[in-house]
Amino acid sequence: MFTQFFGNYLLNKGLVDTKQLSDALAVQKQTRPRLGVLAINAGYMTADQVDKVHEEQQRVDKRIGDIACDMGFLTHEQVEELLSSQGAAHLQLGQALVNSGAMTNAEFADALNSYKKENSLNDVDFSEGSGEKIDEIIRKFYSFNADDTGAYLTEYIALLFKNIIRFIGDDFTPLAPKTISEIKPELADVQKITGAFNCTTAISGDEKAYLGFASRYAGEELTKLDEMAHASCGEFLNLHNGLFTVNVSNEMNTELKLMPQDYLENDTLSGNIFVIPLVFPFGTVSFMAVL
Amino acid sequence: MSVETMKVLICDDSILARKKTKTALNQLGVTQIFEAADGEQAIAAYKEHLPDITLMDIVMPKVDGVAALKAILEVNPKAKVVMASSVGTQENLKEAIKAGAFDFLQKPISEEQIKTLISKAAR
Repeated sequence: MFTQFFGNYLLNKGLVDTKQLSDALAVQKQTRPRLGVLAINAGYMTADQVDKVHEEQQRVDKRIGDIACDMGFLTHEQVEELLSSQGAAHLQLGQALVNSGAMTNAEFADALNSYKKENSLNDVDFSEGSGEKIDEIIRKFYSFNADDTGAYLTEYIALLFKNIIRFIGDDFTPLAPKTISEIKPELADVQKITGAFNCTTAISGDEKAYLGFASRYAGEELTKLDEMAHASCGEFLNLHNGLFTVNVSNEMNTELKLMPQDYLENDTLSGNIFVIPLVFPFGTVSFMAVL
Repeated sequence: MSVETMKVLICDDSILARKKTKTALNQLGVTQIFEAADGEQAIAAYKEHLPDITLMDIVMPKVDGVAALKAILEVNPKAKVVMASSVGTQENLKEAIKAGAFDFLQKPISEEQIKTLISKAAR
């Protein structure tokens, strides 16, 4: 899950723009991290050394790993280790950004090291991620207070990200959240949660993003804003909210109730609206919690 | 009871959830499948088709799944109604079992879960 926040980190630092990130997310899955990126991530080589190896490869017909060994940057054992590690999603994202020219190896190396340092992360955290660390990053990223509402929202978003990774895909990045008092979404499905955490939840987006999300969840290409498209986005929201109430019941010993989900057409949502925008290759989908 | 002659009623307000369940049932050889989009339709469809097994969502408009389950059991106390919901809290589970549900499935329902359920119901 840290990969998703790493994408936002790159955006926030102005290292990439939304278009570059969205394009990289679209090809991330098909991108295999090269030895250089793997070596930077493992701390075996600096970005400068990687660039030197790449320059050398223009002159000699040898594999990159052999050149790195010849130049004394890596041992053969390290090459073996790196090649068998394949690389986690954040490295695929980094490689896709380097391939597209959005970032250099040096910029990627700096950003990766700073991000790890700022969030006290190691590679295991990146690929697996303990619940506590994820909650901590979510609380920090979304600036939640240490009160009950903050605890519910942290739980809600941590689970949301897990469910999106599980049912939609891991190729998304959260944008900075917004708090607003009114919104008239182009397309939205809503569902009310009642009980100790009283909240109206929503999923919204423009037509392209909404259909992209609906298609992913349905597992088929949906091209029209018909009942199936609404059912798909609504069903995802319902599924996520249902699993959230199960977690709250099990972990916080609190029973919440769900109302049937509904489709919002040209209606206005008002209240204390917390907006959670997520960038996918097909567009930006926003989840909302109206408190 | 053979799978070919088995009648299944799917009650869910989501057309997508109904479609997915129907596809899984078709793959198992179940062909007599009926659908309802809310609790009210579920009760009417049960009375009309008297299915061997009913899959019932809990959070539905008009009449919710637990109320529909109770109404169906009034029609046929031996009805096999399986609650299928994303809201699988202990509270809901207890309420459904107390109301007389045959089983409870936590959404998302896998094809494997449906297969197990159909074998269990066919016994």
